[in-house]
Amino acid sequence: MSSPATAPPAVRTSGLTRRFGAVLAVDGVDLTVERGAVFGLLGPDGAGKSTLLRLLATVLRPSAGEAQVFGHSTEREAQEITGRIGYMSQRFAMYPDLTVAENLDFFATVRGVPKTQRATRATALLEGMGLGEFRGRQARHLSGGMKQKLMLATTLMHEPDLLLLDEPTTGVDPVSRREFWRVLAGLHRAGTTVLVATPYMDEAERCTSIAFLDGGRIRQTGTPAEVAALVPGTLVEVVCPDPRAAVAALADLPEAGSPHVLGDVVRVLWRGPAADAEGALAAHLAAAGMPSAQVRAARVDMETAFAVLAEAGR
Amino acid sequence: MSPTLTRIGAVARKEFIHVRRDPRLLAVVLVMPIMQLLLFAYAISFDVRNLPTLVVDLDHTPDSTAYVRAYEASGLFEVTSRADSLAAVDGAFDRNEARVAVVVPAGFARSLARGEAAEVGILLDGSEPNSARIAQTYAAALNQLESRQIAVTWAATQGIDLTQSGSVEPRLRTWYNPERASSIFLVPGLMVVVIMIVTAQQTAVTLVREREQGTAEQLLVSPLRRVELMVGKLTPWVLMAFLDLVVIAVLGLFLFHIPLRGSVLALGIGAALFVASCLGIGLIVSAVAPSLDTANMAAFLVAFLPAFLLSGFAFALDQVPAVIEWISRVFPARYMVTISRGVFLKGAGLDQLWPEVAALAAYALVTLVLAARLNGRRA
Repeated sequence: MSSPATAPPAVRTSGLTRRFGAVLAVDGVDLTVERGAVFGLLGPDGAGKSTLLRLLATVLRPSAGEAQVFGHSTEREAQEITGRIGYMSQRFAMYPDLTVAENLDFFATVRGVPKTQRATRATALLEGMGLGEFRGRQARHLSGGMKQKLMLATTLMHEPDLLLLDEPTTGVDPVSRREFWRVLAGLHRAGTTVLVATPYMDEAERCTSIAFLDGGRIRQTGTPAEVAALVPGTLVEVVCPDPRAAVAALADLPEAGSPHVLGDVVRVLWRGPAADAEGALAAHLAAAGMPSAQVRAARVDMETAFAVLAEAGR
Repeated sequence: MSPTLTRIGAVARKEFIHVRRDPRLLAVVLVMPIMQLLLFAYAISFDVRNLPTLVVDLDHTPDSTAYVRAYEASGLFEVTSRADSLAAVDGAFDRNEARVAVVVPAGFARSLARGEAAEVGILLDGSEPNSARIAQTYAAALNQLESRQIAVTWAATQGIDLTQSGSVEPRLRTWYNPERASSIFLVPGLMVVVIMIVTAQQTAVTLVREREQGTAEQLLVSPLRRVELMVGKLTPWVLMAFLDLVVIAVLGLFLFHIPLRGSVLALGIGAALFVASCLGIGLIVSAVAPSLDTANMAAFLVAFLPAFLLSGFAFALDQVPAVIEWISRVFPARYMVTISRGVFLKGAGLDQLWPEVAALAAYALVTLVLAARLNGRRA
């Protein structure tokens, strides 16, 4: 709990719970997002990421517990919140028959952006995202990446203090994704708090903090490095001519956790002492008829951390 | 400009763009009412003319022949067949050869000659109640007229001068619509029905579409108030419905020669409130309907059917069962039909029609507030 003198964090939830009938989508989530953070919300499909964001965006009411955005209750003081946040839903939520410029102008007007600023901001945002030449195009005729950028631009027109982004780059080509994150980095530097749900692990590594969500609960939270450190064991890669055979051969080695093929190598989470990994694995594979197998240490990336932690949570 | 007006203006402008970009919608809004007006005005006719009539004359006297001729002369009845027994009536009704049967019993002339009341049987095919009712009224009037003449003839033969004693010849007159042309009676009501169908149907899908597009959620996460959204969505449709109304009224005046006898101001105020009420009904449907299909169907049910059946447009509300009459008060169409007919046909103004105008004002307000409350509920 912060003292009354300090400003409340961008987001604070306690015991936040949301049910849909018998399904517990969000289950007692305690989460704090500090101002200025780029906070990544990770988790498999159905983990409750979207529901959590919708609760924070005041779109949904909590079934139990509480959520505060900038110190205001999402349930009782939604009017205090909606003007300060930008919520970008997972699906395209613009008027398909309105042009890019009309969509921007409509939502900005409704959100109280003065007329004098609407045009300049729209131009700046569209130019900045490479949408300048598409101003007059109806939203339905935009490509997937352009649609996402339009949504982001619309969300940014009223210069929100907190951005809630629900899988903003899903279905977007890699170049557009990079541009998208470049825009977010700029916002981060300008002091905007960003809470982004994403299934892409490389994006998680761009965040200042992340939380793993699974089954509606937060399993781990911290900086990307802290979360990577939570992965139990040592990650090693085995290079061999036949990775599938190696995976099969490692199934009866108890210390070789979750062996799986990644590209042309086999990844193993070594549960024994780290120093033993190389020797034990090579010996086991040699015994299984793969004497040429080479073992080397690997860095725990977010993808692996996510997979391992999600598996451990089940 | 106040923030509220700015936001309402933004919504209204956006709605106009939707309509402008959708040629089909534009056609529905501007062409369909005219089509419906023409279609209904020509297809639905309550004019009763040349009712096929079966004559069973069992008396075979000059008196009975004269009596039957009076039916033929009326223009309402057309004697299409004659028979010599009552049994023929059933068959003629079944085969749709006759809707009315006039039975003159034997002894008709004798009763008249004795100065007694002569009994005549008029049988009506009740399976078409509207024609039957009118035929009944006409036959009754005709009989009254005829019996008076018969009485006159009889009195004359007895040497009594009835005309001197101030006998009055009964005459049936229909007020406001002397020719009883049903189009004059229908068109002012039809306007109401057409407007109700077009407007309620359009707003019924508007909120559902916002939800399906995901834009409803974006509106929820904005300072836009729910009532502001409703008013903004309503504005373009009120204007378009008014345009429809003017076109229909002009068509009615020039094509169907309906009169415009009363206060145009009363008509305008009533129409504005009525349109707002219909749009409000549409918005309520839209707020609760789970899908576009459901919204369309529900709007049809709550707009089309009550507009036709419970507005007094087709069926006089003082002749329906009390329960139905009571239900009809829940829909705005009946008030507007009263206003429309009052202004066009009876020359009424606000001083006569204020109860209906007040009812519509209350209706518009309640539906809009209800729609706003039902719509933006946070799940």
